[in-house]
Amino acid sequence: MKSEELYLSLDEPDNADHLWRYSPWKRIHPTGNIREIPKQYKQPKIKLSYLDGSDLPSACSITKEESKNKKNSFSDPVSMSFIESVSHDSKFTFKVENNTILEKPILLRIDSESLNSAINLSIEIGRHCELELITLVEGKPEWFGLLRQGNIGEGTIVNDVVVGQMKSGTLLRVDAINIGKDSQVKAGNISSGSEKTKADLRYMMDKSGSNLRVLGSILSAEKMHIDHHIEIYHDAPETYSRLDWHSACGGNSKTIGTGMLRVSDGSKGADAGQLFHNLLLSKKAEADSIPELEVSEHDVVGCGHGTANGPVDEEQLFYLEARGFSPDDAKDALIAAFLNTTLSEMGSETLHQWLAENLQDELKSLTT
Amino acid sequence: MSNDSQLLKIQDLYACIDDTSILKGINLEIKPGEIHAIMGRNGSGKTTTANIIMGHPDYEVESGTVELNGENLLEMETWERAREGVFLSFQYPQSVPGLQVGNFLRKSVAAILGEEAAKGKEFRNKLKESMKELDIPSSFLGRYVNDGFSGGEKKRFEILQLMLMKPKLAILDETDSGLDIDGIRTVAKGINAAIRGTESGALIITHYSRILEHVKPDKIHVLISGKIVKTGGPELALELEERGYDWLEEGSED
Repeated sequence: MKSEELYLSLDEPDNADHLWRYSPWKRIHPTGNIREIPKQYKQPKIKLSYLDGSDLPSACSITKEESKNKKNSFSDPVSMSFIESVSHDSKFTFKVENNTILEKPILLRIDSESLNSAINLSIEIGRHCELELITLVEGKPEWFGLLRQGNIGEGTIVNDVVVGQMKSGTLLRVDAINIGKDSQVKAGNISSGSEKTKADLRYMMDKSGSNLRVLGSILSAEKMHIDHHIEIYHDAPETYSRLDWHSACGGNSKTIGTGMLRVSDGSKGADAGQLFHNLLLSKKAEADSIPELEVSEHDVVGCGHGTANGPVDEEQLFYLEARGFSPDDAKDALIAAFLNTTLSEMGSETLHQWLAENLQDELKSLTT
Repeated sequence: MSNDSQLLKIQDLYACIDDTSILKGINLEIKPGEIHAIMGRNGSGKTTTANIIMGHPDYEVESGTVELNGENLLEMETWERAREGVFLSFQYPQSVPGLQVGNFLRKSVAAILGEEAAKGKEFRNKLKESMKELDIPSSFLGRYVNDGFSGGEKKRFEILQLMLMKPKLAILDETDSGLDIDGIRTVAKGINAAIRGTESGALIITHYSRILEHVKPDKIHVLISGKIVKTGGPELALELEERGYDWLEEGSED
């Protein structure tokens, strides 16, 4: 079935559903008329290079074609089929050949400029690779859709960071990533732009020995509405996952983090945990975090979840002020530190420095 | 600034927290170059005195004055006191995950001594030299402030800050607690390096005489129930070690 047909055949998602509870599909759809599939969405500007601007080796490429590999089926069909439907002209495959080791981080820059658009990106990373990928989404559209689905090969080590930094509008992001046997994946997520963000991030570990860390550094200011749903599937023995999600919420903004850990029967030795931290910077800011577990296997190392909300710590403020920091500087430093605890775990020092510098302006917007 | 020759002058200081009176008329004067110590049991008001001088928002000053070189500290915010030259080495330093030690030190020194003092070769050399003196490895700079530090590392890090910030008045709140003998020696070396031979002064708050053997205070004050009940020379520490505080409690008011 074609994606348009599939989308139109689906019922409107139930607002009671975990995924759509805080951001109903009607509010995320570009026009609000959910039976409508906008036509003529243009292709955003895309550029792939090393972070320092230099060219990549031929073993690492992006091509304008749809992947021939089987699609992952563990994502929400509504948002996935919708992005597929509006991204006819924007089907790309990011491919890394087996045994490719890249010494420097690479940057995939996606700029939607001021046009509504979407991209359907297949990610095919081969076996025994080592790389760091930053996907930067920027522009000033009213609506942008990003679908990333694909596979990470056996024994591969990848730091995969997505930075949502649109200046306006709505960002709908869907990730469906299958993690290979004995591979190690860090999935970094930074959201600091767009008025509305709805992200549905799903990771499948159906091969033994896979290791996943999902990290979030979320900055919400002014009237932003940022909603991330993260599902991690443990569907093989000896799989490991951790979710650490830090959101700093200022102004009248609202951030939502819903997590779902599913450990299927037979996933012996699975080790899973999720933790949401919310730093509330104003009285009007709201943060909701709902971690959930579905564990069908008894023989696990551990499965836990937790959430913590609170304002800036008064004793930490006093400590910094006793070292001469003005109250504003102390608060800024503590917010940056809070976000940095997850940011610094996303990859190498080069990658971390780039991310930290890239977020300077957004950090200021949280406190002004 | 007045012509008063006192570095720190506390007069008739009464203070409370949550309506509970803690300090009941403290009088204390420290001259430039002097090191004083306050000893006393738990709950006698030692840490409260330190926090009041630094301006902790939880404590309320009911009456009295606290002056640094004639300037009224009680009218200043905490950060203004720090920039005026007051340094508090915390009993329990806060951890700040995500804030790197190196960045924190640069920002603190810049805030207190000015931007120029926190950059260039001179700053790097001073940092390197001070870390060496305190047996702190260079890898420390990449760690997060007090995050996962052992008790000894936290105290040495406080003294490193003291050495870099060159305050006029250093208050050391139980900096020796939890340290082994080598740790106490190292920390004492840092305190002496920062204070001795300068116009700065220090107020050491402690339970034990051991650190005072290495720092040699000019005066020791005994605090009981929020009041200084006795002041003496370095020999008072040994007397307290032998006799405890009971003999001083008679005559002190609750």
